[in-house]
Amino acid sequence: MNNRLNQIIFVVALMTVAINCCACISIETASSVETNKSLSNAATTQTKTATLSDSLFKAAYPGDYKLVKLGEEELWQDRGEAGNFGGVLTVSEFGSGPKTFNCWAASDVESGGIASLMYESLLGVDPWTAKFYPRLAKNFSISADHRDYTFTLRKGLRWSDGHPLTADDVVYTFGTLIAKGFGNSSSRDVLSVYGHYPSVEKIDNLTIRFHTQVPFAPFLSAVGAAIAPKHILEPITSKLTAENKVGEFNSFWDINCKPETLVVNGPFKLHRYLPGQRVELVPNPYYSMVDKLNRRLPYLNKFVVLIVPDQNTQLLKFYAGDTDLLDIRAVRGGDAALVKQREKSGNFTMYNLGPDDGTIFFMLNLCRRKNPKTGKFYVDPIKQSWFNNRYLRQAISHAVDRKRMVANIMRGVGYELFTSESTASVFFNNKLKPYPQDLGYASQLLEKGGFKKQGDFLYDGQGNRVEFTLYTNAGNSVRDAICVMIQNDLKTLGIKVNYQPIDFNILVDKVSDSLEWDAVVMGLTGSRLEPYDGANVWKSAGRLHMFDQRLPDSKGTIKVDDARDWEKQIDSCFNQGATTFDLPSRHKYFDLYQQITYDEQPFIYLFSNLNITAVRNTIGNYMPTPLGIGFVPRGSMHNVEEIFLKKTP
Amino acid sequence: MSLPVYIFKRCLQALPLLFIISIMSFVMMRLAPIDPLAYLKANPAISQATIKAEEERLGINKPPVVQYFLWLSNLLKGDLGISTSGGSVNKLLLQRAGNTLLLGVASVFFTWLIAIPAGVYAAVYRNTLIDRGFTILTAIGMSMPTFLLALILLMLATQTHILPIGGLTSQDFFEKNLLGKGLDILSHLIIPTTVLTVIGLAGVQRQMRASLLDVLQLDYVRTARAKGLPESKVIYAHAVKTAINPLITLFGFEFASLLSGAALTETVLAYPGLGRLTLEAVETKDMNLVMASLMLGGLMLISGNLLAAILLKFADPRIALE
Repeated sequence: MNNRLNQIIFVVALMTVAINCCACISIETASSVETNKSLSNAATTQTKTATLSDSLFKAAYPGDYKLVKLGEEELWQDRGEAGNFGGVLTVSEFGSGPKTFNCWAASDVESGGIASLMYESLLGVDPWTAKFYPRLAKNFSISADHRDYTFTLRKGLRWSDGHPLTADDVVYTFGTLIAKGFGNSSSRDVLSVYGHYPSVEKIDNLTIRFHTQVPFAPFLSAVGAAIAPKHILEPITSKLTAENKVGEFNSFWDINCKPETLVVNGPFKLHRYLPGQRVELVPNPYYSMVDKLNRRLPYLNKFVVLIVPDQNTQLLKFYAGDTDLLDIRAVRGGDAALVKQREKSGNFTMYNLGPDDGTIFFMLNLCRRKNPKTGKFYVDPIKQSWFNNRYLRQAISHAVDRKRMVANIMRGVGYELFTSESTASVFFNNKLKPYPQDLGYASQLLEKGGFKKQGDFLYDGQGNRVEFTLYTNAGNSVRDAICVMIQNDLKTLGIKVNYQPIDFNILVDKVSDSLEWDAVVMGLTGSRLEPYDGANVWKSAGRLHMFDQRLPDSKGTIKVDDARDWEKQIDSCFNQGATTFDLPSRHKYFDLYQQITYDEQPFIYLFSNLNITAVRNTIGNYMPTPLGIGFVPRGSMHNVEEIFLKKTP
Repeated sequence: MSLPVYIFKRCLQALPLLFIISIMSFVMMRLAPIDPLAYLKANPAISQATIKAEEERLGINKPPVVQYFLWLSNLLKGDLGISTSGGSVNKLLLQRAGNTLLLGVASVFFTWLIAIPAGVYAAVYRNTLIDRGFTILTAIGMSMPTFLLALILLMLATQTHILPIGGLTSQDFFEKNLLGKGLDILSHLIIPTTVLTVIGLAGVQRQMRASLLDVLQLDYVRTARAKGLPESKVIYAHAVKTAINPLITLFGFEFASLLSGAALTETVLAYPGLGRLTLEAVETKDMNLVMASLMLGGLMLISGNLLAAILLKFADPRIALE
């Protein structure tokens, strides 16, 4: 009797294992879970994705926008083919959905993405040429001393409730809403030049002039903040300013607001929000763009964003035809080859839009200071001497196998990286050459740096064995795999790396506050268009100058008295790059900064992700470019107003 | 003791319990080394001033004791505070509570509908092929991770195109008539309910089987059989009635799960429930939201236990309310 029961239990156990295994195989291939065991089967998928990464997609340049007049109204005429109206476009978004519908309070990607469908700004950046062009404005000019910027609005602009959009709205947006710090005050920081906020004045009903205290080249990208409806928001903000409750602005137009109360100037307007399920947007009836036949855009009847908290489910929804498009980041390394196989049967096309502007890097803690509270060094003086030894950092950079990381961890859907500006950036310094893994050269560099290898271990000049702890955030399988690879690569040099994954929040705290860390693998977002956006990272007094973080005093200002020569050089590159308008000189400064970081290796860059999208062939006017990528759900649809659904014959 | 007095007494007892739960939850959340602003701090575009302002807004720069009593006094006023994302916690919970209750009731209903007869059958026909079939099924249900089962069913749905891939409503939901709406929600409920039923089935079925097996060996059952009562009457009128007692206690605990949600299943199936909301809140240390969810869970557990005690009283007259 007992025997039989045991048999049954055994059979059940076997079955469960079998079921689990089957499921695991399908999940393994459908996700980027990466272990050393699966390295072998990665080689087969890599051959398929290699062809993908060779074929960078860039739609043909469709020409400039044309200004057309319909009655009194001045509108931009779009650049794509004339499509047909109607239909619902459904996309999915990974995560927990937007946190707010208040465009100026948004500080997360999901809210920012929805806001970018609803609001426009004075200027746009051309996704082909990277040049600024007028959007709500008709034209703009910069004075000879680079301190005055004059914008003229188009005639006849209207908000979605029919109220005219005039210079008053612009002056309110920049002079009150952003200047007084309503919502997310980072737009104010971006606009401020060395602590001075630019002044803004109304010249006439359609003309606005900004004045900055010193010439500031990144100003044009900063002035791209969305314009706010004064007639709706002023009654609210004036009350809050009076009562000194600027923070309460965040609860206006939050996720519990009534959609019909939103007033927008962009192509779409919120129609319905089902928490945890989807966001539905409908066209703004007063959107000021027309197509080639002078019909008012957008084409779509409805834009639906499904909120999907699991990436496998996101893929399944696309396979099942629930969604029309998998935008950037939805197709991960491990998935790309599988998605590619379904291109024909699923009637969609995959586009490779090149490397992302984000970077993934390895860094050592270069801090040489003592903790004023405890009187102890943040970093053990022995380790300090290693980490501050440039040869060690260079040796590590030559010892890590980036090629294998891209092939095995990203399954080919990545791009090796050696510079502080991603190859996606228009300021990328292409004179800085990539190099392959070279353990022999790495060993030579270590010898030059005074390190000696005895047996299996590396020792410094004083005979201390080189050993340190490497952190990254737990739960991120890509970074986990990177750390394991680095650990193995450095082992061949004799460096013992103790790898320890920790919670993301703790990692951030170590790097930005407690400063008690040796080595970290992290990622940062970047900018394709404006390297000055990285000032917070690169300036020695920056808030994210992570490789040698100086802590702010009680007033929040960071004082630096121990900057290295190369840190000072980078500071001056950024300062000059910010105040120079001449493009070749800007390139010169930002090239020099990349050269310095390439030589000094404060961050040892590893790779960038590739942006891959998969788009149903029934979508018309989909013209993605490597530069025209924003927050999802707008994502690669920089021309979302002219996207249409082809009629099925 | 009469029933209303008993209920009143139990409610009074619940108050200090809830207070202790709230203090424990608060201390645990405070001790967790999670910084709700970590993502802001890791973003190069955010300034120090913004982070300070955000700390001010969320009140995390105040001492913990002050924070706790602020929270408590707001709670007594019926205000659960604001979430880190700015929305009111009351509204956030209300939005999801209905969905979670729907799924919870459906899965508990089907679990018990299947598990009780299956348990009785398995006990009566012990060691037959069908009993072993149930054993295998419940063993799978117990050993299979929920997210895996959910994912397998989703893949099946992708291949067959019969059932929707996650979510709760279709995109054309609001254009449908009342019947269409009902059918739409039903079709979306099939996969999550199946997952939770299969997982929940195991425990209840095994409990029912074991409990009935015990009772069937008791003297009074033998007496009933000896009296010549028909077997169906022996089992259903006499044995099951006694054997059900431990299951009522179990039901009290299951009641608590009605509003706590199933975070993993909800995540994989993109179901807009409370479990997912709570999980996301814990990950971002959304204090007010987590506290509210934990208090709700505690409240449901206490009322589940009370409910079980009352039901037990009705099911078994021997039990006295004290």
